[in-house]
Amino acid sequence: MKKCRILCVCGSGTVSSAMVAGKLKEQLAQKGWGVTAVETSPNGVESALAGERFDLIACVSPVYQDYGIPKVNAVGMLTGLSEAQVIEDCLKILEV
Amino acid sequence: MVRTVFRELVAARLQADSAEEVIQKVGKMLLDHGFVKDTYIDAAAAREKEFPTGLKLMDIAVAMPHTDPEHVNKPGVCVVQLEKPVIFSHMGSPDVKVEAEMIFMMAIMDPDAQVETLQKVLSVFQNPEIVKEFKNAAGADELFEVAMKHIG
Repeated sequence: MKKCRILCVCGSGTVSSAMVAGKLKEQLAQKGWGVTAVETSPNGVESALAGERFDLIACVSPVYQDYGIPKVNAVGMLTGLSEAQVIEDCLKILEV
Repeated sequence: MVRTVFRELVAARLQADSAEEVIQKVGKMLLDHGFVKDTYIDAAAAREKEFPTGLKLMDIAVAMPHTDPEHVNKPGVCVVQLEKPVIFSHMGSPDVKVEAEMIFMMAIMDPDAQVETLQKVLSVFQNPEIVKEFKNAAGADELFEVAMKHIG
């Protein structure tokens, strides 16, 4: 299994990002990717990135700043309306 | 899995005219039964303004107000049917407004410890048939049964 690290960002860094992290792990595993996910709030992004390398940032709350790491809008995963799109967006970034 | 659905946290046909009022009233259910500290309601209201929690699902819209674990005493999910839809801003897109018909207000202490609960709530959101069960429950007792069945 290939490995990747995803930073999941939501307002409180707890509930919504944990939901998304769980789904990302499950769905990307089916595509051959082992995901390590870390959850944080928009204020915690900078320090999370300083500590570890991440392959992409999955945003449930908007992250406006550019950190040089690709971002994916992950709200569609919470509503279920565009779950496949979110996975596709992640894969596009990971499989480069 | 830690149980988070309790009869005292379920309400049907709640009257409210605004997101603020929803948070006050539903937050009070959590407060009155000892699930949260008295700082929870204000924190959830403030958080809703900055990071709204409305979600447009396939057939209806819901909202999932919550706030940081420091305001929580013990985990619980408040499941509330609204008497009439209330406007919330959409998560991730604050300019987009949705008319929420169901509220899932969460008191979560440790998302890693409660990952199963969170995934169950998420599964509810993603399944239009299940959401309909919540919305169509006739009264708090039935709503409680639906919530126990799908979230537990």
